[in-house]
Amino acid sequence: MIKLDKNTRNQLIELYKTKKIGLEGNILKLIDPDGDEEFTSYIKESIDRDKDSRRKRLDITKQVQSQNNDLVKWKNENERVNKELTIALEEAKESNEGMLVAKQEAEDSLEEAQNARVEAEKARIEAENAKMSAENDLDLIQKKSQFELIGTIVKVALWVILGVGFVTTGMYLIALSTGLDTTVIGSTWSNIIGILLTNAFSIVGTIMGVKYASEKKD
Amino acid sequence: MIDSILLVDDENLFHLVFEDACSLLDISLSLESIDSSDEAAKLFEGWQKDSNGKPECVFVDLNIIGSSYDGIELIRKINFEYGNNVIIGIISSSNEAEEQAKAVKAGAQFWIIKSDEIEPRLEEFKKDFAGYKNRTNPFKVYK
Repeated sequence: MIKLDKNTRNQLIELYKTKKIGLEGNILKLIDPDGDEEFTSYIKESIDRDKDSRRKRLDITKQVQSQNNDLVKWKNENERVNKELTIALEEAKESNEGMLVAKQEAEDSLEEAQNARVEAEKARIEAENAKMSAENDLDLIQKKSQFELIGTIVKVALWVILGVGFVTTGMYLIALSTGLDTTVIGSTWSNIIGILLTNAFSIVGTIMGVKYASEKKD
Repeated sequence: MIDSILLVDDENLFHLVFEDACSLLDISLSLESIDSSDEAAKLFEGWQKDSNGKPECVFVDLNIIGSSYDGIELIRKINFEYGNNVIIGIISSSNEAEEQAKAVKAGAQFWIIKSDEIEPRLEEFKKDFAGYKNRTNPFKVYK
């Protein structure tokens, strides 16, 4: 314990009385008033004042500490939310990038589909051309066959006509050379020749007409 | 009354709360507050050679932000490396049994839960202090 001299004691008491300035803190717990009632009272009052001011400061500090804790919690919460927001933004960005890639792929696919459609159209036209060509070829073959058939018929018909002509002419010549009656055979020969010529021209005319009509149709 | 106290806590506002609470409760005459376990370790290292100014009791926060090691490691160092034989414990808002078990292993004698109403716990601790001084008290958590 500390014992103060009389002069110091008086100065301290005077300072407290005139300006309300007293000792503060734990030093007060170490001062021995040495039985001096006035100084004991001074020490007690100073301790009470010190405790009052400490109590006030403690209450305020606790309040500030509590507010600070709230602020720290809010700050942490804010950081957490910011972090989540950043992650969400990154995810959205990635998703957007994915979407852009998908869009690009879709556009590429569309372009490919359009190209494929154009190719298919070309192929269709080529197929139609091929079909037309085949039909033309077929038609040509059919016509060729028809012409060959017609040619054959004409040849046969001509041969028949010529054959009948030759035979009738032969028989008429024999009758003339042998002196037989030529009345019947002569009229018959002229009739046959007339008929054969008529038929021959009719056949040739028919063939020409058919040929002309076919060419016009093509 | 405790002769002198050292508080190691990174929260400066708590320094003021603790100092005022100790003063109001007449717990200690002398109190020093520091905010780093590195600084505390250095002080104890120095007190190995000269014990002048060495505290009688040390309160250590569990998580000391900005320091090389936490409160439990500081207690372990003080107890097993510097061997200063001080009364030492944790003061923290945490109440995890696992951490408390670690603190006991490190040589902590008490665990005070920090809260708005710290005074009743400090008052209870003040009553128990003699038992910690003569090492008869078991580890205790002040809730």
